[in-house]
Amino acid sequence: MKLRAPAEANAPLSGPPNETATETATEGAAETAAETAASPVSGTAKSGGTATARLPGRPGVRSVVARALLREPSRLLWLACWSVAEALPALTGGYAIARAVDDGFAAGRPGAGLMWLGVLAAAWGVAAVAARQVLLLVAGIVEPFRDDLLERVVTGALRAGRGGDSAAVARMNHQVELARDAFGAIITVVRTFVFTLVSVAVGLTTLAPEVVPLVLAPVALGLGLFLVSLPALARRQREFIVADERTAAAVAAMAGGLRDVTACGAEARVAASVGREVSRQARAARALARVTASRTLSLAVGAWLPVVLLLAGAPWLVRQGVTGGVILGSLTYVMQSLAPALGGLVQGLGVSGVRLAVTLERILHAPGPPVPHGDREPGGARLRLRGVRFAYGPGAEPVIDGLDLDVPEGDHLAVVGPSGIGKSTLAALVAGLLTPDDGEVLVGGVPAARVHPAARALIPQEAYVFPGTLTENLTYLAPGTPPDRVDEAVAAFGLAELAQRTAGGPLDPAELSAGERQLVALARTYLSPARLVVLDESTCHLDPAAEARAEAAFAAREGTVIVVAHRISSALRARRVLVMDGTRVLLGTHEEMVAASPLYADLVGHWTG
Amino acid sequence: MRSRPADLLIAQAVRRGGPWLAALTAAALLGAAADLLLPAALGRAVDAVVRTQAGAAAVAGARTGAEAGSGLTGPLTTAALLVALVVACDALRVLAAGVSGARAAQWLRSRVVAHTLSVGAGMTRHLTPGEIVTRAGVNVEEAGRTPEAVVTAATLIVPAAGSVVALALIDPWLAVTLVAGLLLIVTVLRAFMRRTTAASGGYQQAQGEIAGMLVGALAGARTITAAGTEDREAARVLAPLPRLRAHGLALWRLQARAGVQAAVVVPLLEIAVLAVGGLRLSAGGLTVGELLAAARYVVLGAGLGSALGYAARIARARSAAQRLEQVFAVPPPAYGDRPLPPGPGTLELRDVTVRADGVRLLSDVSLVVPGGTCTAVVGRSGSGKSSLAAVAGRLADPERGTVLLDGVPLREIGREPLRRAIGYAFERPALFGETLGEAVAFGLGARDAPGGRSGHAVRVAAAAARADAFIRRLPLGYATPVGDAPMSGGEIQRVGLARAFAQAGRLLILDDAMSSLDTVTERQVGRALTGSLSDRTRLVVAHRVTTAAQADQVVWLENGRVRATGTHDRLWDDPGYRAVFRAEEAS
Repeated sequence: MKLRAPAEANAPLSGPPNETATETATEGAAETAAETAASPVSGTAKSGGTATARLPGRPGVRSVVARALLREPSRLLWLACWSVAEALPALTGGYAIARAVDDGFAAGRPGAGLMWLGVLAAAWGVAAVAARQVLLLVAGIVEPFRDDLLERVVTGALRAGRGGDSAAVARMNHQVELARDAFGAIITVVRTFVFTLVSVAVGLTTLAPEVVPLVLAPVALGLGLFLVSLPALARRQREFIVADERTAAAVAAMAGGLRDVTACGAEARVAASVGREVSRQARAARALARVTASRTLSLAVGAWLPVVLLLAGAPWLVRQGVTGGVILGSLTYVMQSLAPALGGLVQGLGVSGVRLAVTLERILHAPGPPVPHGDREPGGARLRLRGVRFAYGPGAEPVIDGLDLDVPEGDHLAVVGPSGIGKSTLAALVAGLLTPDDGEVLVGGVPAARVHPAARALIPQEAYVFPGTLTENLTYLAPGTPPDRVDEAVAAFGLAELAQRTAGGPLDPAELSAGERQLVALARTYLSPARLVVLDESTCHLDPAAEARAEAAFAAREGTVIVVAHRISSALRARRVLVMDGTRVLLGTHEEMVAASPLYADLVGHWTG
Repeated sequence: MRSRPADLLIAQAVRRGGPWLAALTAAALLGAAADLLLPAALGRAVDAVVRTQAGAAAVAGARTGAEAGSGLTGPLTTAALLVALVVACDALRVLAAGVSGARAAQWLRSRVVAHTLSVGAGMTRHLTPGEIVTRAGVNVEEAGRTPEAVVTAATLIVPAAGSVVALALIDPWLAVTLVAGLLLIVTVLRAFMRRTTAASGGYQQAQGEIAGMLVGALAGARTITAAGTEDREAARVLAPLPRLRAHGLALWRLQARAGVQAAVVVPLLEIAVLAVGGLRLSAGGLTVGELLAAARYVVLGAGLGSALGYAARIARARSAAQRLEQVFAVPPPAYGDRPLPPGPGTLELRDVTVRADGVRLLSDVSLVVPGGTCTAVVGRSGSGKSSLAAVAGRLADPERGTVLLDGVPLREIGREPLRRAIGYAFERPALFGETLGEAVAFGLGARDAPGGRSGHAVRVAAAAARADAFIRRLPLGYATPVGDAPMSGGEIQRVGLARAFAQAGRLLILDDAMSSLDTVTERQVGRALTGSLSDRTRLVVAHRVTTAAQADQVVWLENGRVRATGTHDRLWDDPGYRAVFRAEEAS
């Protein structure tokens, strides 16, 4: 697949241009892994996917996340404010309990003790309200993030211009949901940890400054250990996700082709190849278990070491005048606030962080490069091919090689040959959807790929009808067409019956017959301003009479018509015929071709007789 | 009992964990005990500290302080050791659970795969491919995690239940308060679950609409690209996005309400316990350390809710194991061990009857296809053509009757000689192998792996199936990965034909395998069938007149019975025979 780097084509979505630079600078190991990860998911629709990952203009994971966070800075400010309120129990908890014991219950003043507990209860009440606000603010960040991702999936898939299977779309949808959930989880755990840590530090300092180093030093150590082990953890997690998906894909392929496996007597070989994926997955699961277990170490250091140090340092603390209530309060700070927050961070970042990275890489890199569009007005609809060569890859034999062709303005050319011989490739080259490896394709003197889409039209075999009204469908390429022109097209293509049936209501594409869909696509192109029209087997579901009527309408229309023939009758109606038989290309009138091409003579004999 | 085999299966899978299972159990039980003892130990340590303080206040002097300090060492060491034990057990539990689960899952998954393959084509009559994937995926995971679920439930229940007891020992009213609070949490969460399901329905519907419209638009990808209307299409597809966001935010709001309510219950419980305990402390009935212990036991006791959640996981694991049992309950076909004697590939069916789900697909069909000849099977759809093709090469066994190849019943032939003798091509072949070259060589058997000698056979077969030219035009030719080759239905059929041509030693069965070929290609493949492949016996299920006309004999099926046998020309006189083709071509 030839890749162009179309700077202009994806400008609208990719945001500020300097983002590209950020991406190349910040993307590291994550990208390599994502390339491996992409293969099982994109399945059959993938070609040249790895090459697309580094195309300019494709936003990196970090820039997408940063943009989602910074979309509304005021929201972040509010989030910080409510987070402070939410961390109120973390700030007051230990202090209130220490006072309740020392000044209240232990001092024989139960009233004061209950009062301090009341303060703590109030703090929890405030925190509950704040937690609700925080969640809604997080939702306000996460939901637009999801919308943004969905928009990328949809526009990316449409711009890549490749027919996708519904399973791939469903998988993409699932990835978007996973990314959204992971993003929400990360914001929550990181925010909770940061605000809890600060609150506890302030609370402890107020309660007993001597205690602070005993608590915060191990927390810092535990956090450091966790951050150091994070890349390894992320790697294992990613390997597991990929191995899991590869196994699922292998089992799905096996289950879908059991009949073929039996027929080929290949049970042992398939068992071996699926078994390899199964073992790989089990290995990845075991490796993940090992790093997850070692992760508890950082949790132990961060969450439990302060407890041990507090107890071990108790004699010294007591000599410093620290009371039992203060030690109780300090333990409350550690066990009630700090440990859960650290646990959440370790768990959340280790799992959700990797999940987010993996899914985002896929969403951003799955669709392949957008098809570029030209913007030049051709000088007329004359078509000229000079020495055109095209192959689907460097290791492939060319489909078209050294083709010269002149189609004057107003000509009506039929292309004939067996399927897979390169007729659709020729149609795509003429329409500018493919660019030749060598030589040039000129429409009105302009290279086909640079021609404005409105100047030429291609109708493929699979006619496209969308769930809008018939008129919306017909004026798709020429918005604002007067109603009488539309009626004329409806009559010319025999769509009156469909128009009557739908009575101005929206069409349901699934309820139209294949032939009706083709008629809609043909009439739509008929109404378009395009002067060069390529019909690529776009009449294959029509009966011969309807096909003749459609081709006659196009022949009477102004401009050049190229018909990739489905039936030989299309060649009989054309002014000239191009025969592609795999070894050479011949051009001439019908009579000339019958004489010159045995294949053509054979086809004529077969189809008509 | 119905679930007996499922429990047996779980037990077998669990045993695959080996020593890790023992490690898991030991770590979990030890950890649970340490969890339960830790608050009490912490309480005693704090009490020791408080005593020191009191002692220091009463008698000022270094000697007394040192004495009191030495009284601290015991409780402190105990608490520190318990902390170390909790941490170590936790790490070991995570490791053992992960490893034993992975081992159990690997064993179960390999068994599902192996059994499915040994049943082969017949499995799809019992389970759809999607169901097989679910069983080898989610169900295996759930069943494999049984030991973890059991052990984790135990480790949660022991300290949770134990802490209620511990609280009751301190003060019965504290335990009562705790239980009442837990019931409150469960009620709140229940209500949340109900409302969530209602709200997520609207979310999923909007999501489904977007996906549906995207699929529709992608079906017209070529039109959209050629017209340059991608952005308009994107806007149309994304029209339900605001609705999606509204439903999404509604879900968040629900979560905010219920989640926050539930989150505040445990701290309030703790405060209530602290208040009651504080009053007892004032009265001298409780120490500071016991107060700390009580507060910790509340937190541990609140874990009972999640312990109950694990009971549901155990139930899920059992039902998952039952679903796996459904796979193993399908018996695989038995292959014989007889080799094939030399022969021309004569196929014979004797009084063959095939039935599926009580419906007769073939009734007493007898027929001989002489070696090296071509027989076309025709008939309206539903007449039993594909059933005939399936039993002719033992993709299915007939209920009654015998199928013989060169005089040997198919059931008695070994798997390897049987599959090397018979090649199948289908209407929608599933291609296996990494590359297209491997896909064509897939039926050649393990000894003829791609490369070397078979490389030539692959090309010859591909050329006969008219697949050679288009494969060579793919980005990497024969080395192109199957997933990277954009192939039309006709091209996939041609690869499937090439695979069958390369495989078939004596008998070639084409089950509607040329339906997507254009007329030119079909004629070219037809010529290969009567030319370079004419040394093999051919059984061709066909819809087109031309195929029937080229065959040496035609078998005309109607309602699962042979209506007539003969040459196409002779049968053509029968208007009923001619009607078969009109009906087929119209459909």
